[in-house]
Amino acid sequence: MMLKDILDILKSSEADAWAVDSQKINRWEFYFIKHDLDQNRAIDTTHINITVYKKSDDGKYLGSASDEIALSASEEEITDKVNGLIARASLVKNPVYSLRKPVEAVPDEVKADVSDISRDFIETLTDIPETATEDINCYEIFVASIEKRYITSEGIDVTQNFPKSFVEVVTNARDNKREIELYRSYDSGNCDKDFLKKDIEKTLSYGRDRLHTEPTPALGKVSLLLSTADAMQVWNYFADRINASMVCQKISDWRKDEAIASDVTGDKVTLSSRKFLQNSSMNRTFDDEGALIRDEVLIDNNVVKDNWGDQKFSSYSGLSDSFILSNFEVAPGSKSEAELRSGKYLEVVEFSDFQVDSITGHIFGEIRLGYLHDGADVKIVSGGSVSGSMNDSMKSMHFSKEMTQYNNARVPAVVVLDNVTVTGAE
Amino acid sequence: MKAPFSQYLKSIAPGLKKLIGLLGKDYDYVSALATDSKGLMVRVSQTNRSVSGHTLTTERGIVIRVHVKDHYSEYALDRFDPQDPEASYQLIRQELLKQEELLKLTKSQMYKTGALSDEPCRLFVEKETVELPESCDVEGLLAFMTELSDSGMKMSDEARDVRVTAQSTHISKMFLTANRDLRQSYVYSEATVIPIVSDGKKTDFGYSGVSDLCGPELFKELRGCVDAGMKQALDSLHASPVEPGEYTIITSPEVTGLIAHEAFGHGVEMDQFVKGRALGAQYIGKRVGSDLVTMHEGALCAKDVTSYAFDDEGVLAGDVTEIENGILKTGICDSLAALRLGVKPTGNGKRENFEHKVYTRMTNTMFDSGTSKLEDMIRSVDYGFLLEGMESGMEDPKHWGIQCIVKLGREIKDGRLTGKVVAPVIMTGYVPDLLGSISMISDDRECFGNGACGKGHKEWVKVADGGPYLKTVGRLG
Repeated sequence: MMLKDILDILKSSEADAWAVDSQKINRWEFYFIKHDLDQNRAIDTTHINITVYKKSDDGKYLGSASDEIALSASEEEITDKVNGLIARASLVKNPVYSLRKPVEAVPDEVKADVSDISRDFIETLTDIPETATEDINCYEIFVASIEKRYITSEGIDVTQNFPKSFVEVVTNARDNKREIELYRSYDSGNCDKDFLKKDIEKTLSYGRDRLHTEPTPALGKVSLLLSTADAMQVWNYFADRINASMVCQKISDWRKDEAIASDVTGDKVTLSSRKFLQNSSMNRTFDDEGALIRDEVLIDNNVVKDNWGDQKFSSYSGLSDSFILSNFEVAPGSKSEAELRSGKYLEVVEFSDFQVDSITGHIFGEIRLGYLHDGADVKIVSGGSVSGSMNDSMKSMHFSKEMTQYNNARVPAVVVLDNVTVTGAE
Repeated sequence: MKAPFSQYLKSIAPGLKKLIGLLGKDYDYVSALATDSKGLMVRVSQTNRSVSGHTLTTERGIVIRVHVKDHYSEYALDRFDPQDPEASYQLIRQELLKQEELLKLTKSQMYKTGALSDEPCRLFVEKETVELPESCDVEGLLAFMTELSDSGMKMSDEARDVRVTAQSTHISKMFLTANRDLRQSYVYSEATVIPIVSDGKKTDFGYSGVSDLCGPELFKELRGCVDAGMKQALDSLHASPVEPGEYTIITSPEVTGLIAHEAFGHGVEMDQFVKGRALGAQYIGKRVGSDLVTMHEGALCAKDVTSYAFDDEGVLAGDVTEIENGILKTGICDSLAALRLGVKPTGNGKRENFEHKVYTRMTNTMFDSGTSKLEDMIRSVDYGFLLEGMESGMEDPKHWGIQCIVKLGREIKDGRLTGKVVAPVIMTGYVPDLLGSISMISDDRECFGNGACGKGHKEWVKVADGGPYLKTVGRLG
């Protein structure tokens, strides 16, 4: 069945409203062990998801139900599915909310040739300088060209084309006693050769250090310095807490025009939506529900200026022109990286899985490689864990003037969280 | 009733066999995995309700695997006309040739691998279920889940929301080669209750769930989860931080399962042996745990969400004894890794869905039961914690580190639970130390299938894990 047939069935159905999200995906994948090709894969699929809406007779409720329509579905299957979804939607009693309306704008187009981008990735990964003791164990390359069309009964009909890439790299370092590994993954639009090369070279150097670690001592409370993509857990915490859904569901108590913390002695956070960031895989003109994405300050010096969210929770929150956050930028802090790197602190560059829980604010992570700085003295450590709470740490956190970018976020290059507890490895 | 096998897959099977025949002229191994899995996901909270046909494992599509000279290529598609397999043949050939041209341009060498054998096999399995997600009474389910959410809210003034989720998936998969024709259909279901609580200063949550290899009839078991989830949420909200250090611990079956999964689940996925990414390869036949430790892995070793009849490479499900009385016996293996290592595949080749590559993945990962009673285990502890509730974990097969985020710990002093609770708890350590310190194992066991597992940070598949209560020593923070 073609998209047109699905639209015809929806238009003639008893749905009060509907939306169709069609994503045509052409993805190439290459898997390497060392630099030998393990497997190559090609994906050619189209995912068509439909949502139907049904109002209650008294107009108080608006229910919805959704499902995917397979391209191989027959007309009879689609009709049955649409009717089934309408029946289910009529059972869903959500307070009525406004559906997105069309907005005039021309989508930005980003050219994506999966073959060219794949070639860039393969050549970049092959070009990383390796030695007999530090090298690449394996890597996986995923490059997609996506055509996303969103059509609704309210008159929205937008098509956006964009690339989406992901690379996973495992590096090794060894001496005559043992071998260790480090893991990195990168989301992006196209291949940023310079960034990738630089970051993997740095990872190889971390690998050298990991061969010479000592067990992390029990440090009690200490300042934790983050200088890798793990810092995104911290920044995502701020972005998540201003999601209208989190606020509406009483998971976040960060309210508009109120400060997010009291007694703050550190840097205050200014977080803004960015429609476009260089090479982000999230660059879009419209969000997933057809709302126009714009540059906007959402948190200004620790004060919530606006929420972001989907159409349902934006409507419940009284936000008339919100959108789903895609890219964001955090303003620089008050100190340089050199100033932040002073006194006693623990810099962790490799965790098992560093997490900041958006609901509780809990901070967790097992240390795989860290540098314990105390003035000029630096010990390379491994093992043990960090734990803490963003509720406490955001009062005194500092971040650098220098900036960096991790895919869809431009953020300070270095973050320091005070009062993080370090459990030693022995 | 039997979970009926997909009529759609049945209808395309002849055309797919013709496509395999066409590709067989160019390639010396060709397989097709075709999937048609339907689902139901219902969510109820105090502020939102939703009904969807999506779950983690719903899909409809085909993935073709071919052996090209000395390596493997795959092509995933969701448009296939069984009357015109030639059209699909041309598309696959053209796209794979384009990739071959690129690989020539980049002068890429191949990781040389021979062709898989294609032993004849026919299998048709329709597993038992009472209900199907396609015909579930959604109206009744929504009313029941709303009642559960509302009843949870009445349990405490500190309740902010009680989220109830129920999902069920009817899996149909067909694996075809020139000589193999395997077809299976089964239903698995899972459901959770997640209460959110706050005292005005802190916010926390609890978690309780059920899962099984069965239909939506499972959901009525959710009633018991509201009490358990709310108790966990409130205990966690009012808990003290744990004083970092090494303690005697007793792990509840859920935490035991997390250890099984992270320690020697990921640790013996043998596709990592091929890359030299797992220390386990050097420890086959050696001690990795105390005499009490025996661990199984396989779709056949428990009945839960991933107890299939054959894996995504057409290998029949198995039951592997990974650790026996503390000695590491073997690992689990997908077909290509098995070919490269010269061993037999164990039925653990899984894909996130038809669009994704096969990796060696877990199914049910279970510690065997022991002989002790939980009460005796608690009585034997001078000072320590009973750990309950799992949030997440992360594997480290290369270095045998372990990270387990546990919901809370209940203090044990002089052989008795004191009522004091610590939370949150991060348990870390060196896997052989953790397993080597196991000194008591309870005589019961439970399996949990509410979680999903990633390989690194992607490739999400359903898994189940569990076991009995374990007494050991762990580092808590």
